[in-house]
Amino acid sequence: MQVPAPFEYERATSVDQAIGLLERLGSSARLVAGGHSLLPMMKLRLANFEYLIDINDLHAELGYIRLSDDEVRIGAMTRHRELLESDVLASVLPIFSDAERVIADPIVRNRGTLGGSLCQADPSEDLSAVCTTLDASCVIRGPGGAERVVTMEEFHVGPYETAVADNEILTEIRIPRKSFRTGSAYAKVERRAGDWAVVSAGAAVWLDEGRIVDARVGLAAVGPNTTGIPEISAALRGHEPGESLYELAGAIAARSCDPVTDTRGSADYKRHLADELTRRTLRKAVERARS
Amino acid sequence: MTIEINGTPHDRTPLPGQCLRTYLREEGCFGVKKGCDAGDCGACTVHVDGTPVHSCVYPAFRAQGRSVTTIEGLAGPSGLHPVQQSFLDAQGFQCGFCTAGMIMTTAALTDDQRADLPRSLKGNLCRCTGYRAITDAVNGGSPAVCPAEGAAVGSSLGAPAGPQVVTGTARYTFDLDVPGLLHLKVLRSPHAHARILSVDTSAALAVPGVEAVLTHKDAPDRLFSTAQHENEAEDPYDTRVLDEVVRFIGQRVAAVVATSEAAAEEGVRRLRVEYEVLPAVIDPALAMLPGAPLVHGDKGIAEGIVRANANVVGELHAGIGDVEAGFAAADAVYEATFRTPRVQHAALETHGAVGWLDDDDRLVIRSSTQTPFLTRRAVSRLFGLSRDRVRVVAGRVGGGFGGKQEMLVEDLVAMAVLRTGRPVKWEYTRSEQFTAATTRHPFVITVKAGARVDGLITALQLTVLVNTGAYGNHGASVMHHGCHETVAVYRCANIRTDAHTVYTNTVPAGAFRGYGLGQVTFAVEQVLDELARMIGMDPVTFREINVVRPGDDLTAPGAHVPDLGIASYGLDQCLDRIRAASSTTDTAPDGWLVGEGMAIAMIAAGPPGGHFADATVTLLPDGRYELAVGTAEFGNGSTTVHVQIVADELRTTPDRVLVRQSDTDVVGHDTGAFASTGVVVAGEAVLRACRALRARILAAAERGPSEIRCLTADSVAGISLATIAPLSGSGHFDGTPRSVAFNAQWFRVAVDPDTGELRILRSVHSADAGTVMNPLQLRGQIEGGVAQAIGATLAEHVDVDEAGQVTTTTFRQYHLPTVADVPETEVHFARTTDAIGPLGAKSMSESPYNPVSPALGNALRDALGFRLTDLPYTADRIWQAIQDHRP
Ligand SMILES: Cc1cc2nc3c(=O)[nH]c(=O)nc-3n(C[C@H](O)[C@H](O)[C@H](O)COP(=O)(O)OP(=O)(O)OC[C@H]3O[C@@H](n4cnc5c(N)ncnc54)[C@H](O)[C@@H]3O)c2cc1C
Ligand code: FES
Ligand code: FES
Repeated sequence: MQVPAPFEYERATSVDQAIGLLERLGSSARLVAGGHSLLPMMKLRLANFEYLIDINDLHAELGYIRLSDDEVRIGAMTRHRELLESDVLASVLPIFSDAERVIADPIVRNRGTLGGSLCQADPSEDLSAVCTTLDASCVIRGPGGAERVVTMEEFHVGPYETAVADNEILTEIRIPRKSFRTGSAYAKVERRAGDWAVVSAGAAVWLDEGRIVDARVGLAAVGPNTTGIPEISAALRGHEPGESLYELAGAIAARSCDPVTDTRGSADYKRHLADELTRRTLRKAVERARS
Repeated sequence: MTIEINGTPHDRTPLPGQCLRTYLREEGCFGVKKGCDAGDCGACTVHVDGTPVHSCVYPAFRAQGRSVTTIEGLAGPSGLHPVQQSFLDAQGFQCGFCTAGMIMTTAALTDDQRADLPRSLKGNLCRCTGYRAITDAVNGGSPAVCPAEGAAVGSSLGAPAGPQVVTGTARYTFDLDVPGLLHLKVLRSPHAHARILSVDTSAALAVPGVEAVLTHKDAPDRLFSTAQHENEAEDPYDTRVLDEVVRFIGQRVAAVVATSEAAAEEGVRRLRVEYEVLPAVIDPALAMLPGAPLVHGDKGIAEGIVRANANVVGELHAGIGDVEAGFAAADAVYEATFRTPRVQHAALETHGAVGWLDDDDRLVIRSSTQTPFLTRRAVSRLFGLSRDRVRVVAGRVGGGFGGKQEMLVEDLVAMAVLRTGRPVKWEYTRSEQFTAATTRHPFVITVKAGARVDGLITALQLTVLVNTGAYGNHGASVMHHGCHETVAVYRCANIRTDAHTVYTNTVPAGAFRGYGLGQVTFAVEQVLDELARMIGMDPVTFREINVVRPGDDLTAPGAHVPDLGIASYGLDQCLDRIRAASSTTDTAPDGWLVGEGMAIAMIAAGPPGGHFADATVTLLPDGRYELAVGTAEFGNGSTTVHVQIVADELRTTPDRVLVRQSDTDVVGHDTGAFASTGVVVAGEAVLRACRALRARILAAAERGPSEIRCLTADSVAGISLATIAPLSGSGHFDGTPRSVAFNAQWFRVAVDPDTGELRILRSVHSADAGTVMNPLQLRGQIEGGVAQAIGATLAEHVDVDEAGQVTTTTFRQYHLPTVADVPETEVHFARTTDAIGPLGAKSMSESPYNPVSPALGNALRDALGFRLTDLPYTADRIWQAIQDHRP
């Protein structure tokens, strides 16, 4: 059935006005950003809402990429396309353009947003894996201008479930910067170009005098949530990067993830890909950190 | 607030929940298409303030105060937009259903994006072309061909509908505005097998806008088959419009007709049905076992089912020679079992029809069909109407591939029109297309073959199990066809075939490009490849030793209509091309495994037992000609070839030929656009009509039939054509005798052992289609067939779970190849002229599909060192197989 239930439509004029609407309408209302995840779900009646509050006009307020010495702040309405084309991101966090190149197609990227991607909380969503890799935190705003900041782990409560309450909006993602040489990378195995991940992996490393000060790996599509793997970070810290270390990390990734067999592949295959992609992205991230 | 569409303000407020696509169509922009309704296919792409968006996932409200451009508004005052022009020049379309979206996306690409089409065009799916023609169009095609008088055949003339396709003005099934239209939606069975005890319709009827609810109590008590064949005895009569017993999850239970789609859906949700759940059989291997639940236990031989008490629809047990003696004489024997999955046609235009009563109270059905005439026959019989009280028309059809050689919607639409007296529309959703249209028949094929060291095949043995699903449409015929040309292409004295088609409580399978040949070829060509390896012979030489030659009889086990023969032969040329391909080189990424493989296929031009076509050509007073022909156009290009034939036979130019087609009112009969007959059967009827008319024109000028030279585009022997018009000639062809066409495919592939990813490094196809009537179009047909088969080989599978439920129901789950997934295929034509086909032509619409999957299987075998027997060859399966074969 592809006629969504009839819904009323409101255009938000500011973040606080949108929060006001959400507060008044409660769980019968939903924010719509790009709409590329929400509207197909509504058409298939996997989701029904009486009110849609369109936050696209908040792009001026929430569409930005800001670089400071200690962090990168990205507004929730920043579109895939802007993430892909940003020179700032390409130079400090190349993992974003790696990932954006393999997300959907230009038309979806024209409208789909960072906030929508994270809030959709699809376990195979790529930007969540990127943000997990980068140890990002999420700024959530609620009634009366109250803001709280949560980690990615806290943000993703379960598949398709986040820490954002009915009367809140995700406004910003903050990515910490450390004063070391750093590199990051993203890779995905897809059934066909531009498809959702069979498995994807992101890696980020920070090097000081040739040794790993910190390293993080984030995986998508191998568990209920995009997963960060602290054990890998612990195993890599203090060591000099090299093939045997990547192999160790890959083995930990394979062991720590929790994939299921589905139309995209068997659990064994995905576990193997988690290993393979962890090695590939770490290798690339180190290469970038060194150059 | 208004929405500006193509420069004009529109004031109507969108309905709550409406997406921009339906709003635009309601405002008359029929060029905006629906392929998926979920953001997956790109057919609905429009520009909002200059930026392309998928209008199906864009709330119409959001467009208020903005400016929308659709394909209809893309052309400027000075003519076509450059992208429209290049799609026209390069003929970057077949059915054209994806074209508006392709053009809108392309028009907004930056130069960087154009340079990376695999990534930037991947959101637009095309099921017909295989993308080469589209890529050429994006890169700027060479200008269109305008053949001179008498030089149309053999030229790359563009499709007559091209200008309409690229401007979004071609009219597909649903592209018309019918006042007072009602919408039909159906409730589908949640059970694989159940008896309907009661249907409570009261709550549904109370929904505002609901006009009628139809249940099995309203349906005619007549059986039919959804399959459409000239010879009705080919398919069992096992289907009712609405049945008391439902036999698969997704079968129609009841229909609701309402003033809006939303009301009809609400009505469906309010139906209360009580079922008695019956035992079901899902696995075809279990269906024949004693005690298995019977799918059609209430029917039998009278309905055309061979052994209903064992779920067997049809079977073939026959042999020639003595296979045991053949195996005994062999130096090498190889046996293996192969499995092919369900695949969906996935034509971008879903099934559907609109019906109404015309001014004479005649029932008119406008449908997305390949068989208007047979559908008319079926509808008239079901409802007891004489044939002249029913008219079936097809608009331009947005892709068929065999899926529309089936009556899946017209019967119910007719019933709703007859009940309400109002126009009624029923359009399948993409999900219904997966759960309730047909699929390719899944096959399990065991092939055992033996050969001597000198290369001679001594014996071939086939054991075949075909799963037809809950209904027998095409089931037996696909099995018989699959077991014929696949072995008949080889001279082999000893062949044995044992084949069954069985019912299961799953979504019915149906006709699909290749009609069984693809599945059996997949097995036979791989077993022969392995045999060639075992005796140390290269696969091309091995084929050369064993294939049929001109003058040979085509033999295969079982009774076969004797009108099939080799009326031209180019298989040797095809094989030469394949041998040459092997001497090329390619580079693969480091550490990847590389392999090569080939396969051949033969196909009969037309079905056994008759395929009829009528055509009429009329000289009009303005000197143009009007061709009336029954066959439908769904991108296969038969119309172009028909125009070429008319132009040359009547010594005029193609632009002076008008075509009326796919309408039961325009000619007496046409069996339909299936079984590769558009050129060889309908084309022959057109040729005969032209010759009849030409004789009459010459006679009008007192010239004999051979004095063709006195005919020009304007006059005959100096007499203006206008003075003798109107004048008509008719032609008929009954589709017999039949010739055969040949195809051969070669691949070089590389496999990443770490991920199982398979990459095609080179693809070469050679085809013997007789006279090449239109090289550009023929190449397009071949590329499209190869691409579709690559999809089925590497990615596509319709999954059915243990309960019988289809679980792949959207394009997000079911993978059509995108531009990035299809390699360019080198296409070569053999030089032959057929003794039967019109002007020497043979058919080439289904057959390019058939050798592709075995050729990939053989290439993969070459790369990996072992053979994969089950399709599809997805990366995870390849990777798993590599793990399983590690010592
Ligand atoms: C064909 C296709 C292919 C795709 N392929 C990929 C892919 O390969 N990889 C991938 O990662 N993604 C893919 N996507 C998803 C795409 O990235 C979506 O754009 C994204 O997931 C959702 O972004 P959106 O802005 O469209 O969100 P919407 O659909 O508008 O919203 C999604 C959800 O988030 C909520 N929401 C949105 N913004 C906020 C906010 N600021 N605060 C609180 N809640 C909010 C909404 O209420 C809704 O519940 C694909 C989508 C399509 C259509
Ligand atoms: S119909 Fe909109 S993307 Fe398919
Ligand atoms: S031409 Fe592209 S779908 Fe038919």
